[in-house]
Amino acid sequence: MTITALRWPIVGRRPELELFERALASGQQAGIVIHGRAGVGKTRLADECRQQAETAGHPTERVAGSRTTALLPLGAVAVLLADGFGNTDPDGRLDSAALFAQTRRALQQRHRGQRVVMVADDVSLLDSASLALLGYLAADGTIFLIATVRTGEPVPDLVTTLWRDGRLERVDLSDLSRAQLDTLLHLALGGPIEAGAGREFWEITRGNPLYARELVLGALDSGALVERSGVWHLDDHVPSTTRLADLVEQRIGHLDNEARAVLELLALCEPLELSYLEAIVPADVLESLERAGLVTIAIEADDVRLAHPLHGKVIRGATPRSRARAILLSQADRLETTQHGAGVAALRIAVWRLDAGGRPDPATLIRGAHLARYAHDFRVVRRLIEAVPGDQLDAAAALLLGEALYEIGDFAAAERVLARGQELQSSERMALRLAVTRAKNAQWGLCEPDAALAINAQARSAISTESLAEELIADEASVLMFSGHPERALAVLERISGTDRRTRVVRAIAGAPALAVTGRTADAVRTAEAGYADHVALGEELAIAHPAMHLVNQVFALAEAGRLAEAEQLASAGAEIVATNRIPIAQIFFAANRGRVATLQGQLATARRYYAEAAGLAEASHFAGPRRLALSGLALACAMLGDAQAAAAALAERDSGPAFGFRGPEQQLADAWAALAARQPAEAAERFKRAAGQAASTGHLTAESWLLHDMMRTGGQDASSRLAELSGLSDSPLVAARARHAAAIQASDAEALAAAASDFEAMGALLLAAEAWSGAAESFSQAGDRRAATAALRRSDGLAAKCEGAATPALFHENPAVPLSEREREIVMLAADGMPSQDIADRLFLSVRTVNNHLQHAYAKLGISSRAGLAEALGGTS
Amino acid sequence: MTPEEISLVQSSFERVGAALPALTTRFYQELFRRDPALRPLFTTDMAEQKVRFATKLTEIVHTLPHLDDLLIHTRALGARHAGYGVKVADYQKVGDSLLDALAAILGEDMDEQTRQAWARAYNLVSEIMLEGAAAARPIGT
Repeated sequence: MTITALRWPIVGRRPELELFERALASGQQAGIVIHGRAGVGKTRLADECRQQAETAGHPTERVAGSRTTALLPLGAVAVLLADGFGNTDPDGRLDSAALFAQTRRALQQRHRGQRVVMVADDVSLLDSASLALLGYLAADGTIFLIATVRTGEPVPDLVTTLWRDGRLERVDLSDLSRAQLDTLLHLALGGPIEAGAGREFWEITRGNPLYARELVLGALDSGALVERSGVWHLDDHVPSTTRLADLVEQRIGHLDNEARAVLELLALCEPLELSYLEAIVPADVLESLERAGLVTIAIEADDVRLAHPLHGKVIRGATPRSRARAILLSQADRLETTQHGAGVAALRIAVWRLDAGGRPDPATLIRGAHLARYAHDFRVVRRLIEAVPGDQLDAAAALLLGEALYEIGDFAAAERVLARGQELQSSERMALRLAVTRAKNAQWGLCEPDAALAINAQARSAISTESLAEELIADEASVLMFSGHPERALAVLERISGTDRRTRVVRAIAGAPALAVTGRTADAVRTAEAGYADHVALGEELAIAHPAMHLVNQVFALAEAGRLAEAEQLASAGAEIVATNRIPIAQIFFAANRGRVATLQGQLATARRYYAEAAGLAEASHFAGPRRLALSGLALACAMLGDAQAAAAALAERDSGPAFGFRGPEQQLADAWAALAARQPAEAAERFKRAAGQAASTGHLTAESWLLHDMMRTGGQDASSRLAELSGLSDSPLVAARARHAAAIQASDAEALAAAASDFEAMGALLLAAEAWSGAAESFSQAGDRRAATAALRRSDGLAAKCEGAATPALFHENPAVPLSEREREIVMLAADGMPSQDIADRLFLSVRTVNNHLQHAYAKLGISSRAGLAEALGGTS
Repeated sequence: MTPEEISLVQSSFERVGAALPALTTRFYQELFRRDPALRPLFTTDMAEQKVRFATKLTEIVHTLPHLDDLLIHTRALGARHAGYGVKVADYQKVGDSLLDALAAILGEDMDEQTRQAWARAYNLVSEIMLEGAAAARPIGT
């Protein structure tokens, strides 16, 4: 028996293959994803699926991620691209959406509209643009995806998103069982194997199919494994290494220089054309490599590649750097002469040059960077543009790089690149984008709003086109808004008359929060909604924030309007979107706004968690300003939970960073509450008052309302008339409810306090509701209405219990008119819920007798004689 | 498989001898007990079905040492079963039922080694059948 007769079978994977068939036939699924350890046979299974699909008449394609293709966007899927990279517009921008649509059309044409079964091997190594393209094609059923993911490698969003939507079948591959390995050996060798040899293969491979394959082929090659009278024997020990890579090294080590050179060439530049290889190496070298299971040759496709990615890894590892460089550069030169460096070839050439540490064609690099930008892969953008020689960097490339540096958090470098970009010749539109991005970097990255305003003013003086000038005005408003001047921002926005979509989008970014903080919450919500719709319709453009920022604004506006449940819902949906797209700034703001909404809802532990998350995200992406907001929120939540130490620590951390004017007055809630938690009520009241004054002078109406209301609810001086005034200036039901509550506190009006409590409760502001009920109880009992007092207290307790450990002063005041002891109240509440005495006793670890004694005392105090009167005495249930 | 395992399967099968019909009956009992839903797959006369099963089993046991012969017979067998609507999961049930039926007929002769030899043989045969089944069944239908 000769090695040529060897057919390497697939064993133990029939359930998975059946699952694939079902998923493909269902028409509902977008694909399958195969997970498993290295060498378990993911690629083999994927290719087997592909082959079955092909046999059944489906068109198929194959792409694979690798270390080299990962260097350039769309590198891995170059074979699918109809026309290379697509075209850029006069500003150097690339229409990626058109490129994707064009690729889809080309695929559909090539395969006559049939669904294409697409293997995407090692998706963890695919670049973001390739993943985006595959996701785009899978979404509408143009392709059926077969993806493989190695255990321990990051699972791309493409896979997790489809999987979450239930559109991807998941297959987990494990190593073969002993019986399966025996079957594999039997089928591979074509007959029975001697018991000792079978055992040795099992002990070494433990059922790992790739390991078994390497071991068997190696042993056949070296003559250790031989057939005698129809039975296979192991005459020599097989290599005892437990590292698969060592095994491959030993196999390759036996090869002569010529064969080895072919493998090196493929390891660096695969796939290569068979016709080319045949021209440079003798036919028998290729044949022997194929026989030894080291390369696979597709004659019709004129395509040769390595048999397994692991071989590539081992060979590359053993190839000296200088030699690899020489190979890559000579292949790049060859392709450039034979294929004229167009389209897909240009991409490969660039990849090889980059890999060799050489200088790829700058145009290719810049186009690649545009694609990476489209996929929000800013690190790749940076790497590609930084490979462009400085003297060939144009304004468009400077903008791309500057924006990437900003997104990555290298603000100082972004400032340098963008300032240099402004010195280069460019269209007015490009000059505008550079200015806007540079101002954004100054404002958000460097926390220097004055510098941002100066950049803006300078750009405005140099621009003549009116629509562009208006965009700069909108941007000036944005700087003002996010540095703490909402009224000035709104005044600036008034100067804009233009109505084009882009201007509307930029205007909405500053307009929505400015309207919200100045109390016009309905307009704010509408503006944010329209801004989002316009931004999505506008498509992806440089120098404008991500569309999700409008959702952030909408969440904020909804919260200011007291529409807390809607705010939370939208924030949670938005957070998911930006987590998938990796937009750090939006992720920070969604987390911080969820913390903020939770604070308003009285869900303080939740708030603390979200704020901590936001602070962590801000820290990771170097956004000092947003980090300040998050740490303020964190300190506030900690203080309201009564954790004075944690609150003080968060404040100290916050104050070690630069100042940040955005929502400045609101940030000071944290300082006041931290003082309360530290039992310094006078200090707290003073801080509330001072911050409210700042809010008033800068037009932060809703923040002033929050600060004054908090001052009153924590026992500070009366501010009810100012709160009523604010209510008259705002459409916010939350601002109105605070005003009514303040008036009721001031008047000690029990009914009004109860009404305020109901308002808060309806809004989902549970802590405020609990406090208002507690105040109502006190007023009722002062008025001698014991029953109403008890009922109000019960509602207060019920709501406070939902506030995750809130420890605000208003929850704690003693209530002399409802004379139940704490224990009595506890037992009465349970009894009023209909719980039998025995169950109450069990829950509280008391005897039944003690429970009944407490109940009797409580009945006497409440003026009733039995449990039956309890519910009524407590004023009905909430 | 090892040569010893192949011999063990063949020698134990010889011991079944005249009890082959009983083995077959027991096999179907075990199978339908495991999965009553499989019964409708057997539309033909059960007596005839049992004879066919016994014949095929005998043939497979005899060709075990010669892979090429085994491949020819069992691939075609698998292709036919795909046509009957047999699923991959059914193969496990068939294997378990066969081993239990053998244990019932062979009694003490079905020791651990013999059982393992049969299990290996069944694994080999079922893989080949499933390969034949996959080749015969156009997917997406």
